[in-house]
Amino acid sequence: MNRILFSFLISLIVLKAAAQKNDCGCFVKGVVRDRHTGQPVVGATILIAGQNTGVFTDEKGRYEMRNLCPGSYTLECRIVGYHSFQQKLDLTAGHEENFNLQEQEVHLKDVEITAHRTETPSSQPLTTLTGIDLEKTRGQNLGESLKGLAGVTTLQTGSSISKPVIHGLHSNRILIMNNGVRQEGQQWGSEHAPEIDPFIATRISVVKGAAGVRYGSDAIGGVILVEPEELPFDKPISGETNAVGFSNGSQGVLSGTVQGGISGFEGFGWRAQGTIKRGGNIRTPNYFLDNTGISEKNFSLAAGYRHKGFGIDVFYSRFATKIGIFSGSHIGSITDLLNVIKNGEPLIKSGFSYEIARPNQNVTHDLLKAETHYHFQNGNRLQWTIARQINDRNEYDLHRPRNDSLAALNHPELTFKLTTLTNDVVWDHKPIAGKIAGQIGVSTFYQYNLMDGRPLIPNFNQFNIGVFWMERYVKNGWELEAGVRYDYRTLKTYRIVNREKVADSFNFSNFSGTLGATRNFSERFSAKLNVGTAWRAPNVSELFSDGVHHGAAAYEKGDATLQAEKAVNSIASLKYADARWSVELGGYYNYISDFIYLKPQSEPILTIRGAFPYFKYTQTDATFKGIDLSATWELAKHTTIASKLSYLRVYDQQNESSLVMIPPNRLDNQLKYELPEIGKWNHAFVSIGNLFVARQTRVPLASDFLEPPKSYSLWNLQAGATLKISEKQQFEIGIGVQNLFNIAYRDYLNRFRYYADEMGRNASLRLKWKFGA
Amino acid sequence: MRMNRKITWMLLIGAAINFTQCKDAGDKVTPHDENELITSVTLKFAEEGTSNVSSFGFKDADGDGGNAPTKFDTIALKPNKTYTLTIELLDESRTPVENITNEVAKESDEHLLIYTPSPTSLLTYTYGDKDVNNYVIGLTGKAVTGAAADGKLKVQLRHQPGVKNGKPEPGSDDVSLDFILKIQ
Repeated sequence: MNRILFSFLISLIVLKAAAQKNDCGCFVKGVVRDRHTGQPVVGATILIAGQNTGVFTDEKGRYEMRNLCPGSYTLECRIVGYHSFQQKLDLTAGHEENFNLQEQEVHLKDVEITAHRTETPSSQPLTTLTGIDLEKTRGQNLGESLKGLAGVTTLQTGSSISKPVIHGLHSNRILIMNNGVRQEGQQWGSEHAPEIDPFIATRISVVKGAAGVRYGSDAIGGVILVEPEELPFDKPISGETNAVGFSNGSQGVLSGTVQGGISGFEGFGWRAQGTIKRGGNIRTPNYFLDNTGISEKNFSLAAGYRHKGFGIDVFYSRFATKIGIFSGSHIGSITDLLNVIKNGEPLIKSGFSYEIARPNQNVTHDLLKAETHYHFQNGNRLQWTIARQINDRNEYDLHRPRNDSLAALNHPELTFKLTTLTNDVVWDHKPIAGKIAGQIGVSTFYQYNLMDGRPLIPNFNQFNIGVFWMERYVKNGWELEAGVRYDYRTLKTYRIVNREKVADSFNFSNFSGTLGATRNFSERFSAKLNVGTAWRAPNVSELFSDGVHHGAAAYEKGDATLQAEKAVNSIASLKYADARWSVELGGYYNYISDFIYLKPQSEPILTIRGAFPYFKYTQTDATFKGIDLSATWELAKHTTIASKLSYLRVYDQQNESSLVMIPPNRLDNQLKYELPEIGKWNHAFVSIGNLFVARQTRVPLASDFLEPPKSYSLWNLQAGATLKISEKQQFEIGIGVQNLFNIAYRDYLNRFRYYADEMGRNASLRLKWKFGA
Repeated sequence: MRMNRKITWMLLIGAAINFTQCKDAGDKVTPHDENELITSVTLKFAEEGTSNVSSFGFKDADGDGGNAPTKFDTIALKPNKTYTLTIELLDESRTPVENITNEVAKESDEHLLIYTPSPTSLLTYTYGDKDVNNYVIGLTGKAVTGAAADGKLKVQLRHQPGVKNGKPEPGSDDVSLDFILKIQ
């Protein structure tokens, strides 16, 4: 299964504006075209934000709006099959001289608009991190970068491994689309972070709620879209260099991108990008965490060609990381765990060091992708994407083998090599009557996992085929959409039982559906409602785990009779925006039947390291209910307050209790002051923020060694500015301090909360130099 | 029509690539052993001044999980006697059986055995061996029993690579067993 979601510059729209001299005699006219075919787009809606007037493009894609008064306007264009987009137009400042020209068309500005194809249901909330907001997160890993979005949290293992959590769901219950390809690592493990370099992306979006129809299995909690910029076809060479330093862990990150076209070779574009990261031991307010260094070296290469309606893109990326795992987290027995909990801080003390010793993880992820598409003259479009990814994960335990000759080899105790081949064909049919657009697609994936070392999960082969069909209808402020999908999956596992090879076969199939509506009441107010379903087949660790989990001090046992999980998610959102206010309120109700979780068993299991609490993978029906609220208020000129609230309640319907590891509620407030432009400096701002995370009080009784940590409140400071050196060069600087008051706290969703505090104060400096284009 | 044919070819090639690259994970399954597995622990109490040796053990031949442990003896000792206590650790999941006691002895600067009676009056343990850094090990030692009573004896093998300092805290448990102890 892989997606076409990457930011495809599919439509170039040229707006031309001109004006007459007399008051309210200005007009705006232009043509809306599809970039590839050059064909006019019929039936696109052009609106002026804040006014209830709108026009449609005619059969030649033309539109014209007359009798406009001079002033600033926001033009909004909606095309079925594309995200709506907005463009600011100034019909006074700087262009007054043009207004003298009566009735003559004046070319004020060629407005190039990148319309992102909407593959996701548009009635589902989509939050995008881009521009300055994305720049502020530079240097952090993917999970950390997304943490600022309402409804998104992280599941951590120490401070260097974090996985995104959407509406309380994570790992195999959310899907990450890396540049249009579904990311396939060993996602079942809570200490297996996504193998993606965020510097690849210029947009990171989160689709909240079940999106099984478009994306297939696993999209139960939501989808994360990591999208690079469109390749710079026929453009001169440009690029950027980012340097980020963090005080905590003395971490440095260096990333660079160079891109361009090739002169004399029309329709060609390329990009090369690389990142190096190195950090040492992390410091909590009171002590260093031993062996928490990180080293990362990533690069990616991309090239593409466009000719008329035809396009092809080839992308290769390699992600390679070595992460130290806090050495105080290795638990031999329950006594070990109780001792470190009693001690209140780690028994192992350390100073600062860049050394990464055992235990550690070495992971490389290679992705090779080719995508080709063709726009037919009549408006149809065919796209085909193939990709191969190889995830090579090596985990080194704290202890080497006792046997000297084995120890000398220094082999990892666990290796997993997961190879995934994906193949997607998507057909977008031409809009019917300019109102109905849709797509039909077939996705397949084939995957095999080879594992070596300490027995943990079996080897497996997996094949999945999915067929989907989605349609969208747009008329008079209404957008309706519907879609269906069918998936079929076979899984064959191989393991050793009593020195004999045992093979098991599993088949899963599922229908998914989506139904949604968007209503634009006015330019300021809109509402969305979506009901979507998604499914997930049990993964091999849920089917076949059998052993002590040394991070959790628990004996976990799988169940080969588990059925697929199915989610029905209803999500409604309201959006209001005016000059000073912007509010988005979303509520969701996600019912997951056959929800797979670890159920505590009454009898502990006796091992040579003593008795361990015994957990079995079991199924129940669970509900995830919650509210995401984000609001921005312009308090005074240049001063804004932004607040985000995430509220979630989870209930196990069958056992009438709570579930473990559910993110507590949180409130994030930021006060921002934007400085006026000074000389060549612009976009300057300072902000102060506070994050309050409540205590998780809804936990099952006697389910944990330690009750959930107390609530905490953290302050942060940020500032940044852009210096325009010349037309073609700019320099950006940003500084920030996280955990300003060096608060010692623990987070419920950090698996190391038993052992150690979270990271203390962390100051950062970001520098960015952009050149060309 | 020509376009349709082109597309058909594209699809066929796509499908073909996907299937020709399929490998079978089943061909690569090889049995592997846990590095540090210990399947049995035997405590040998040799009564001083006699040739009486009593052995008490724990055995879980297939390691954690799977079949339940097959042996978990109650330690029965006489009151007010002095015993020489030695311990034997085996990995019986391998053929030939691997003697972990020897490996612990070889890496004695990374290991520590701890014997904790409860109540403490049941037994007094004195270490009889030391590693290169002059820290105790516990592969051999002396156990002096108290008056007749019942309780428990916790036997721990602490794995302390690089952090052994003579104290129990560093490292983690490789063995942690609560034997029932009867002084009678």
